[in-house]
Amino acid sequence: MKKQSTILLIAPITILLVVVLILPLLAVLLPTVFEGGAVTLSRYIAFFQDPYYIKIFVRTLRIALVCTLVCMILGIPTAYFISRVSKKWRGILMSVALFPMLTNSVIRAFAWINILGKNGIVNQILSALHLVDQPLSMLYTEFSVLVGTIYLFLPLMIITLVGVMENIDNDMMEAAESLGASRLLSFVKVILPMSIPGIITGAVLVFTGAMTAYTTPQLLGGPKNMLLSTLIYQRAMTLNDWTGASVVALVMIVTTLIVMKGLNAIAGRLDKRGEN
Amino acid sequence: MSKVTLNDINVSYDGKTQILKGLNLEIGEGELVSLLGPSGCGKTTTLRVIAGFIIPSSGQLFVDTEEMTKVPVHKRNFGLVFQSYALFPHLSVYENVAFGLKLRKMEKAEMDRKIKEILEVCDLTEYALRFPKQLSGGQRQRVALARALVIEPRLLLLDEPLSNLDAKLRLNMRVEIKRLQKKLGITTVFVTHDQEECFSISDKVAVMNGGVIEQFGTPEEIYSRPKTEFVARFIGFENFIQLRKTQENTYRANDGSLFTAKMDCGKSECLGTIRPDDIQIVTNEEAAGNTVTAKIEVRTYLGKSYQYELSTPIGRLVVNDGSGALYKAGDTIKIQLPAAKIVLV
Repeated sequence: MKKQSTILLIAPITILLVVVLILPLLAVLLPTVFEGGAVTLSRYIAFFQDPYYIKIFVRTLRIALVCTLVCMILGIPTAYFISRVSKKWRGILMSVALFPMLTNSVIRAFAWINILGKNGIVNQILSALHLVDQPLSMLYTEFSVLVGTIYLFLPLMIITLVGVMENIDNDMMEAAESLGASRLLSFVKVILPMSIPGIITGAVLVFTGAMTAYTTPQLLGGPKNMLLSTLIYQRAMTLNDWTGASVVALVMIVTTLIVMKGLNAIAGRLDKRGEN
Repeated sequence: MSKVTLNDINVSYDGKTQILKGLNLEIGEGELVSLLGPSGCGKTTTLRVIAGFIIPSSGQLFVDTEEMTKVPVHKRNFGLVFQSYALFPHLSVYENVAFGLKLRKMEKAEMDRKIKEILEVCDLTEYALRFPKQLSGGQRQRVALARALVIEPRLLLLDEPLSNLDAKLRLNMRVEIKRLQKKLGITTVFVTHDQEECFSISDKVAVMNGGVIEQFGTPEEIYSRPKTEFVARFIGFENFIQLRKTQENTYRANDGSLFTAKMDCGKSECLGTIRPDDIQIVTNEEAAGNTVTAKIEVRTYLGKSYQYELSTPIGRLVVNDGSGALYKAGDTIKIQLPAAKIVLV
């Protein structure tokens, strides 16, 4: 009886997942491994032999990893600060941290165009201060993609971390201090290790997001800084090469899965609280 | 061994509410002093001032002759045990205890020896490799104690360390803490709201109320001779009678009846108080002096005795009677308030 009801309860979501996720995925992936009726990995081998593709692949991975790292560095202290203030202020600060997520990512990318462009705010300030003669070209570089992506995904890191950190009792910090650790050292030796589950979850979210983001690299990166996501679009929509696009998609999925697995392995190694 | 002096300590919350009001306290070398009081009386705040988590708005803290009012927490070398124990969940028992020693850059072999020694003393040797969540409440408590003691602190500060344990374990841990404290001769401040716990463990007790110490003395002094109404109420005096002094040792109650008390209250009007256990129910008519006729309102069974709530001409009184004689609600009885047991505040 109990087993039956369990099956009944998970049936809707299982059907939904199979129909809208697994079947389309198979439909996309199967054609990439068939050539002339035989199973082959030749398309994938070709992908990794093409220097142009490799460059895009490495650039995508680099941006996603740097973005994840920067989000960690910026997010951890911010989240800890938010988790320590009074409940009222925590609500206010969380809304401020989440504010960027309230607008569409196209609009957010346009905001960065206005800030980083040749006549953007940054260049206007720099030239007004006579720090530069020529406006800096910051837009349509890897830098502008990185800035846009960090801005896009930092809130995810912060919410995830606040959720974990606000459950860490202040006593922990005080106990560490009473044992002779300065505040900074207490944070590093106690709060940080206790936050690892949150840091890893946040990192997975940010990495996956940065890896697959499309609008931001498209608008801020321009054609010279293509990423895997923009490459997929180009292959499918411009060149009408759906199989080629599917190859890139699978490379992206597998890369993301490998990095996630790696992050979880690190978490498992660092976060040992003993089994029950 | 260290002596602690708190000198005119003031702490206020958001600049308005005074939590500690000119608090003075002197703790002798090797003494175990309890801060006793209801929640909100300022006992934990006092402990946090000593620990260094709160910098008082005015006043000084001295340990021996060294002023420590503004020394940062991590430079004080005081051992702290929290109500929640605050064990580091990501570290084993051994690593929890090692935490403070590692920060002191101690030599590895020396460190290992010290940790093993304190684990032995606290009866934790077999649990060294376990993690906090694999331990029972009592074991966690002992780890917290071991972690605080291993750094050889100048003071040991305990914030309601026993309140999360069940009754039986509490009793054992109480004895254990006292034994360790005496063995190591470490000056200790113990915060509690449990008067029985506090009396059994302390050399001296500071009863706190509203940010000041109402009375500071040995448990015996406080138990037998509370100095204020608050202290009397807090430590179990439940009967209070308005008295007016008529002559030496003789007092008149509101209804005009006269009572004798051994104690002198030093003013013309005072409050007489007596514990429910000290009032006697008298059965023979000759009982002379300090007697009151009373009607039983409510009877409660307490196990070793019955408690009666009485209405009397001098007010409502509570009596605990363990004589075995049984009265019921509505009975009229005669009670005697022994002159030696009446405390005047």
